[in-house]
Amino acid sequence: MIDDTGTGVRHDVAGDVGGNGDGRAVKAVTVVDGLGTPPGDEMTAAGHQTTTVPNRAPGLTDWTRGLRGFRPGGAVVEPVRAVGGFFAMALDTFVLMPRRPFAWREFLLQSWFVARVSLLPTLMLAIPFTVLTVFTFNILLVEFGAADYSGTGAAYGTITQIGPVVTVLVVAGAGATAMCADLGARTIREELDALRVMGINPIQALVVPRVLAATAVATLLSSVVMLVGLAGSFVFSVYIQHVTPGSFVSGLTVLTHATDVVISMSKAALFGLAAGLIACYKGISVEGGPAAVGNAVNETVVLTFMALFAINIIATAVGVKATQ
Amino acid sequence: MTTAPSTQFARTRRVMRGWVDGLTRIGTQAEFYGRTVGSVGTAFRLYRREMVRLIAGMSMGTGALAVIGGTTVIVGFLTLSTGALIAVQGYNQFSSVGVEALTGFASAYFNVRLIAPVIAGVGLAATIGAGATAQLGAMRINEEIDALEVMGIRSIAYLASSRVVAGVIVVIPLYCVAVITAFLAARFGTTAVYGQSTGVYDHYFNTFLNPTDLIWSFCQALAMAMVIMLVHTYYGFTASGGPAGVGEAVGRAVRTSLISAVFVVLFLALAIYGQSGNFHLSG
Repeated sequence: MIDDTGTGVRHDVAGDVGGNGDGRAVKAVTVVDGLGTPPGDEMTAAGHQTTTVPNRAPGLTDWTRGLRGFRPGGAVVEPVRAVGGFFAMALDTFVLMPRRPFAWREFLLQSWFVARVSLLPTLMLAIPFTVLTVFTFNILLVEFGAADYSGTGAAYGTITQIGPVVTVLVVAGAGATAMCADLGARTIREELDALRVMGINPIQALVVPRVLAATAVATLLSSVVMLVGLAGSFVFSVYIQHVTPGSFVSGLTVLTHATDVVISMSKAALFGLAAGLIACYKGISVEGGPAAVGNAVNETVVLTFMALFAINIIATAVGVKATQ
Repeated sequence: MTTAPSTQFARTRRVMRGWVDGLTRIGTQAEFYGRTVGSVGTAFRLYRREMVRLIAGMSMGTGALAVIGGTTVIVGFLTLSTGALIAVQGYNQFSSVGVEALTGFASAYFNVRLIAPVIAGVGLAATIGAGATAQLGAMRINEEIDALEVMGIRSIAYLASSRVVAGVIVVIPLYCVAVITAFLAARFGTTAVYGQSTGVYDHYFNTFLNPTDLIWSFCQALAMAMVIMLVHTYYGFTASGGPAGVGEAVGRAVRTSLISAVFVVLFLALAIYGQSGNFHLSG
């Protein structure tokens, strides 16, 4: 049993990079073995099959290849290389941003695409988020005997946290995943190499418009989230929790001012930028088959969320200092 | 197809077909969820070893995610940052009205009721859920699921039910880690960074930490894990359209499961805490 789980984990670590060939080979093996094989065993076989794969990566120098065979070294080198590659691509993107020709058509198409896939999930996510926050705040305020200030809590929660965070979740979950899947599929079909051969820089033609589109749409979406969130909390407070509408509205601006709104929207822009960069990097660095694209999208979601929460805490601390 | 003569009411028909397709999709999803939940017993009886393997795999994560520490570290990191957020915003807002001593209360109240469940749900959807969709989608594209059926293995029980059970089991230690990191981050931020005395913080924290709330918040996390795993296995199972299709399925699944997870938390919170709120300031 211990051995079984061990290989199972190793199979996951190896990262399903095998693609079609391995899957088929495994099936053949189990069929030949006979029907009596317990079902856990074929996955063990898959583990053994895929552990042979990580020796790929043709374009490496000798010393990294030597390090790669050595497991602990590989575990150290791999994330460092990924971070380096990410910053190199981000630098390329920033350098190429002002350079002509700017891919206007791609930018507009991508903006429209991200906005289209994000709008409905944004609304669907913003409403329960704000209602949950207002509900939790109002329990507290009613206990204090200050239910008239529920607008204050709603505005503060919606503008400073829920607006940017919901935007991020949607832009990362909807826009960035689709971008990464699209770019990843193009990469494994070698379309990016074809672009390079034709003398077109894929960073300039594909990455720059996508990153800018994600930034622009995230900024715009955050204002939609704030509007929908405030409207949703108004309806919930006034019609379900029986707060006076006038005091709700007059409470909105007690703690939350125009600077908070500006900070919140610039947070959303930062988040969109980070999400676009991570999605594009994961997309253009895919190697392998369909499983690799799926994994790249999965990693995009996780890394984007982590980056965003890290940015959020720093941006909030800066914002709190700036408004005081 | 373009040479066919146009039918009467073409636009109306198209709109109607869209609605009918939507209804059909809801029906297929409901059927899949029913069969997955119904096959849990079969999965326990026949595929227990696969389940154990999945639990080990889920707590570690796949590919590059295992390198940075696996699902546990990722979810812990997310709640760590939101716990720190309580310290930053709670302390500053409370001190602007002179009651910064209540930051410990904010940590005990908002972490348990609002932040930890929601953020743990986001983390689950992004790590375990999206990983399951990516795996199952790749299996579907490579026709491995069809091969399983041919070999007489019940694919829904073997792949979907076992993942749902594994997700619900994994979420228990995961949620413990999430809540603890959220508490620790709020405490560290308030006491070490903003310099409040630990005695004041601990007093208000312990006074307002309600064990019943904590247990309910665990129930929220379990319900969320089940919904998230069901949604993600469905989208993985029905992936189509090559490598890009797998990626798109992951994106669609993340979107849907985030929305359903937040709705689950909201409705459970409304059901549990109700109109009265089950909160007493006087202790």
